[in-house]
Amino acid sequence: MKQDISALMDGELFEDEAENLLGRLTSDSAVHKNWSVYHLIGDVLRQPEHIHSDLSAKVRERLQDEPTVLAPRARAVKQNIRTYALSAAASLSAIGVVAWMSLQISPEVAPQMAMQHIALRPVSMHTRTNSNDYMIAHQEFSPSMDMNGDASYIRTVSYSRDEVVLQNNPSEKQPR
Amino acid sequence: MRLRVVFCGLLLAVVANVYAEERPVGLDWLEIAAFAGHQTDYSGVFIYHYDNRVETSNIIHVAEANGEYEKLGSLDGPKREIIHHDGQVWVYNHHQLVHVGSRQGRNRFPSLLAEQLAALSANYQSKLLPVERVAGYNTQVILFQPKDNLRYTHKIWVHTDTGLLLKAAVLDDKNKLAELYAFTQLQIGGKIDRSWVKECDSVLLHDNELSSSAETAKVITTTNSGWVADMLPSGFKKTMEIQRPMHHGKHAPVTQIVFSDGLSAISIFIEPNDGDEDDVNGLSSRGAVNLYHKILDKNLVTVVGEVPPRTVMQVLDSVRYNGK
Repeated sequence: MKQDISALMDGELFEDEAENLLGRLTSDSAVHKNWSVYHLIGDVLRQPEHIHSDLSAKVRERLQDEPTVLAPRARAVKQNIRTYALSAAASLSAIGVVAWMSLQISPEVAPQMAMQHIALRPVSMHTRTNSNDYMIAHQEFSPSMDMNGDASYIRTVSYSRDEVVLQNNPSEKQPR
Repeated sequence: MRLRVVFCGLLLAVVANVYAEERPVGLDWLEIAAFAGHQTDYSGVFIYHYDNRVETSNIIHVAEANGEYEKLGSLDGPKREIIHHDGQVWVYNHHQLVHVGSRQGRNRFPSLLAEQLAALSANYQSKLLPVERVAGYNTQVILFQPKDNLRYTHKIWVHTDTGLLLKAAVLDDKNKLAELYAFTQLQIGGKIDRSWVKECDSVLLHDNELSSSAETAKVITTTNSGWVADMLPSGFKKTMEIQRPMHHGKHAPVTQIVFSDGLSAISIFIEPNDGDEDDVNGLSSRGAVNLYHKILDKNLVTVVGEVPPRTVMQVLDSVRYNGK
């Protein structure tokens, strides 16, 4: 029955079968429910904002909980997949910008970058060999960003996204 | 107005210097950019591109009577905002401004010391390239090409009027981009929002007793650790050797030795190995920064630097203890 409904939606049923099914849709509540669900799934896939049924809330929730994992990798420590996934999404749309920017540097670079796969580079999240700590500690004394003034903290801001922990213990005193 | 006078003064001094010492002009632009970064009021949006990511941030920098204030904020991903002033750092935590401590040992202007510039000129060939337009401003482009393949190429775009650094790139020996920083939108001088400046001043006032800067200063000490690295690329000189806390204070203090060739730096971290790692041999990188670590005797040794992976590995393999 579900197959028939889905075939009907895709316009793959013969006319008489379609008529028969449509007749049952109005009379049979189970059939009607399936019809709703299939349309809903279609709607959600096309335009998540325009969902118009009760089932929508649950489906949207499920969709949102699915992480957009582009390059699966094993992690020893719990990580915030969602944050990483969000950055990956940003990278996807930004790659056009990057390709354009790279043209400023050298024409040869641009095609390479445009063709590169978006691979999430694994950051070692193991207990002490966490690269973040060392890179931040190194940044404090490196001259290469000194000419950028305090823009060296760009890297700190980037690093912080993957590890949502402040480096020093903040004094959480509220301003009066 | 004040900015222009100051800048012109510096330019004159620098030009005089050039004729006096015949120093490559590229280095002068570096010094100009460093100076302008500290002295100029500006507000803008920039992108930071590294690996396959592009991250957008905004920045406001103002030079007040009591020093510089700088606010840096992330424009994509989780919202993060950082304020710097006078060596102190503030962060917005749930809409409250919180003082989180001090930064250590940043070189401030005149930050490019004579030795550093001399090292630079020995290790890199600087070359002036044609003027290009960045974020709507004309910039002088300078290329710093390394004299060996153990370091990266650096390229900078400096605004011809104010000397502000508008774009900077690090390239590898195949001319592939390792890292890029560029303004996409920039306002120089004029009316810039300073409301946040008063806010962090008031937070600091109340936090003075709890300021961690005094405590941090106590726990970072210069040291003579006895560790050396034989295979550092030529021109890298030791700039500091310290003992410092790391890993949120959960392990013993770490020895950090920093070497620099004037444009990039390499840090060697040595700490006792207490068997806490499950995977130690590894290379990781972020943009232009590469990191390599391994266990050496009973120590965990980590090398980090804005140098190619082969250099980081070469340095790590040459680290040894030379003390008593």
